[in-house]
Amino acid sequence: MLDAGDQAPGFSLTRLDGTSPRFESGAQSRSRLLVFFETDCPTCRLAIPYLNRLARELGDASAILGISQDAATPTRELIEQAPIEFPVALDVDLAVTRLYDPLAVPTLFLIGSDGRIIQTLGGFDKRALNEIATAMSGAPLVIAEPFDGAPDTKFGCTSRHLEASGEGELAAAANPYVKRAARAARIELDDSVDPFEYCTRFGDPLPVIPPTVDRVDRMLAACSLAPDEVVALIPPNYGAATVEKIAANAVMAGCKPEMMSVLIPLVRAVCDERFNIHGVQATTHFAAPLVIVNGPIRRDLGFACGSNVFSNVARANSTLGRALQLILTNLGGARPGEIDMSTLGNAGKFSYCIAENEEENPWEPLHVEMGFKPEQSTVTLFAGESPHGVSEHLAREGRQILETISRALATVWSYRVCAGVEAMVVLCPEHVKTLHRDGFTKPAVREFLFKNTGIPLRQFEEGVGEGTPHVKLYKQAVIDGEPCYLKFTEPSAIKLVVAGGTAGKFSAVIGSWAAGARGSQMVTYPLGAQASLPASSFGVSLG
Amino acid sequence: MSITLVNPLDETPRVLSKPAPRLANLTGKTIGLLDISKSGGSVFLDHLENLLKQRFGVARVVRVMKPTFTKPAPEAVIAKLLDAKCDAVIEALAD
Repeated sequence: MLDAGDQAPGFSLTRLDGTSPRFESGAQSRSRLLVFFETDCPTCRLAIPYLNRLARELGDASAILGISQDAATPTRELIEQAPIEFPVALDVDLAVTRLYDPLAVPTLFLIGSDGRIIQTLGGFDKRALNEIATAMSGAPLVIAEPFDGAPDTKFGCTSRHLEASGEGELAAAANPYVKRAARAARIELDDSVDPFEYCTRFGDPLPVIPPTVDRVDRMLAACSLAPDEVVALIPPNYGAATVEKIAANAVMAGCKPEMMSVLIPLVRAVCDERFNIHGVQATTHFAAPLVIVNGPIRRDLGFACGSNVFSNVARANSTLGRALQLILTNLGGARPGEIDMSTLGNAGKFSYCIAENEEENPWEPLHVEMGFKPEQSTVTLFAGESPHGVSEHLAREGRQILETISRALATVWSYRVCAGVEAMVVLCPEHVKTLHRDGFTKPAVREFLFKNTGIPLRQFEEGVGEGTPHVKLYKQAVIDGEPCYLKFTEPSAIKLVVAGGTAGKFSAVIGSWAAGARGSQMVTYPLGAQASLPASSFGVSLG
Repeated sequence: MSITLVNPLDETPRVLSKPAPRLANLTGKTIGLLDISKSGGSVFLDHLENLLKQRFGVARVVRVMKPTFTKPAPEAVIAKLLDAKCDAVIEALAD
């Protein structure tokens, strides 16, 4: 790999607009930054918003050049979805990649005005990003704040030119960025032992399917990764979730083999530092990770999104949610009564998985709102309480429905707490129909709920209680002629999903755990490319 | 006929570390108080600081706070306690 002091080679690469401006090797009027990336690398995705910020702060996006190691179509999709706000060139044959020879992606090469490399950064590192930003701007510049919910550092994925061709065990063996762990131990049971009885030690208190070698092998056969590849380290104990361990837990939960294509990205997502599963598992609060499935995978694997969506209605929902919970307890160590000392707990800790009813949703579904294409299947995680029902059968207008929902939203976390909290509103099809008829768009629904959910100031006049010491942080507004504190700090704190059956005017509100950068942030991960991603993404910040 | 199961539990190898040596007394020592930033923590720690100094002769108390109680202490917070060369650290949780 080229390093500090080396001369940066010049090159010409085609950009998405068809032009091929030359990247000159010699002296220039300013420093420049090359960013090698892949479209399916979680660490690259993590870095993009910081690089966008750098482009804005410099007031010169052309000082940064992204170099995609993937083809035009996935690159264009990532540029739109992330979005990427600086120029991007395509290195489809990896010629420029071989020239610079980065080990990982993302790799940043900061090139001085003399054409020599000043600094390189492989992976994600906030301190190094700030150093690069400062060097480029010529004055102290912070583009990566210390406690914004993202980790301080995160390993990248293997650069494409170092990936072995093919997939599976051989490719993984040749991949320097794949972390491997020992194969799972085998446990021999003789005839005198009832396997179902024996396996009660492995599960939630309900019986599990014994994870026999044959059953686990069928799971592994449905997945292109090597059994000993570590997909993630599961907090709070940071146990290694190898593909084999994930498969064994999937068997126990009752998953069909094809569910591995959802479960592997889901395990990556739940260990995304922004979601903060460490805290979600260790809190005494009610929170449990709620999985929301979007896209064609709903139909392919039979996820329920209609009536009874939160119930025991479909094998796909029940087993995916249960597999995640078994993985979190068996590999992460958050066993009830041990690390998980939740005061009241949550029935969702058996299984908490819904799909969005996209067919009854006249607006953008959740994943499209998060920047994905409609045909891209995704899993989203939200750290939530149990659903709180909102019945409204008498309201004739959309506005009245939203007023009723806003009253339920006001009670989330605790009535007088108006900061650090979010909520998911699960709108039922009948309510959505009325809202759509009355001209409400999805942003308009969110804006209305944000502006009309408040706690009257008079409620704060007497009695110290949760939320009252922090009124200086709250925003004031007049709602229906009454001075109030707004319940939420911004409209984006209200997440909207359409789900449920077409009969019944019952929506639901789900309160969050501690929200935002200092708690848990909702994350959405694509399925497909990442399911067979040859490199792993760790990003463990122990301490 | 016997059956063979794949162990679904965590088998990640762990390295056990020895507990730090215990202090014989607190006189003249430097004690770190790590506030995990829950509400009420500072009230509790103020009292503890007074007790440590007045009753146990602690020479110096170093107060450090985590940015959020929901996550492990970041390296910068641990570094502050290390830099202060604390003889012992008390992590305080309060609500």
